[in-house]
Amino acid sequence: MSDTRALDNPHESVASEPPELDKPVEAGPSEEPSTGEAGEVEVSTGEVEAVEGLRSLDSVIAETAPDTSGLEDIGVASFGATAESIIQADDRVQIHNTSAYPWRAHASLLITAADGSSWIGTGWFISPRTLITAGHCVFIKNSGVPGRDGWVRSIRVMPGRNGSTLPYGSSTSTSFRSVTGWTGSGNHNYDYGAIILPTTLGSTVGWFGYSVASDSQLNGSVVNISGYPGDKPAGTQWYHSNRVTSVNSTKVYYSVDTMGGQSGSAVYHLRDGSRYAVAVHAYGGATANSGTRVNREVFDNLSRWKA
Amino acid sequence: MVINGIVRDRSGRPVAQARVYFLSGPVPLPDIALLTGADGTFRLAAPVAGSYSLGCTTPDGESVSRAVEVTGEADASVSFEIPY
Repeated sequence: MSDTRALDNPHESVASEPPELDKPVEAGPSEEPSTGEAGEVEVSTGEVEAVEGLRSLDSVIAETAPDTSGLEDIGVASFGATAESIIQADDRVQIHNTSAYPWRAHASLLITAADGSSWIGTGWFISPRTLITAGHCVFIKNSGVPGRDGWVRSIRVMPGRNGSTLPYGSSTSTSFRSVTGWTGSGNHNYDYGAIILPTTLGSTVGWFGYSVASDSQLNGSVVNISGYPGDKPAGTQWYHSNRVTSVNSTKVYYSVDTMGGQSGSAVYHLRDGSRYAVAVHAYGGATANSGTRVNREVFDNLSRWKA
Repeated sequence: MVINGIVRDRSGRPVAQARVYFLSGPVPLPDIALLTGADGTFRLAAPVAGSYSLGCTTPDGESVSRAVEVTGEADASVSFEIPY
């Protein structure tokens, strides 16, 4: 891999300094989504996608109302303090109609690392040739395995994958972007990156918008995540939505259920029927999962990486 | 610190392309999953010492989990036996 990709990021100074986590984020610009040239588009008018089988947030809140704040997770008995990606019950719902927008704008990723090891993750289109994902999907840090760290060798991108069915085929990329805060420091506050495709699959499947949301717009809001978790039948897409539990200037924490393989998924708001990413999913935690926030610096890099 | 592992089926044959992922651990963990090689083995980084739980799902959809203790003094190892 050429090192020139690391130099493509003009925000090196941003990534090399400690983040000011308490700094408030004001509402900023938005980039608009596109439903693409392919046919079916699913319409959702509320804050969550209109998906059959999804438990309403009201029912979840009612069922979890008893105060259990003083109780420890059952896993603590076996494993001590734990970080896990399923927050209480697993409420993820499988998406079957993955050839429709917005599901087709999510892609299953088959990642080949520098040492030849294989990984799975998730990405989402922001333009005809560019997908956004986690930094650790395009650049591996601190693996402890000789030959593995660094830019991954290639990523096969499969938009709207549904098991063994690839409704829009696939495209393999060897061109990636990230920032020095991740590639140099492995700092989770900067864990985001991009995949640049040799083809314009995004024009067909469409893409997500993204926007800089303020603290007040994020806190307590409903966010949506769909992706390709490793614990479900291979290559199937799963969706869940829940509320943001907290934010800082670089991260968003939420109670959306996820699992290994969903790294890189869009964490998005539904506004007036359109989808705007506000974070990039990256980590599973004990009480909340988390993603890299689309703040102004991230927004500018995403816009710069569009192709 | 690295967790070395292998996935085998009921008869002891290695399972390739099984997905291995963290279920829990002492710190927030990357939500990515590793695929086993042709020999059924995998090597996964553990960011800190502590108690981890790993999940494994085979290409046929069978899932199992195992607890792993990482001490930081040596690589840890884990073996998955798929009951089919």
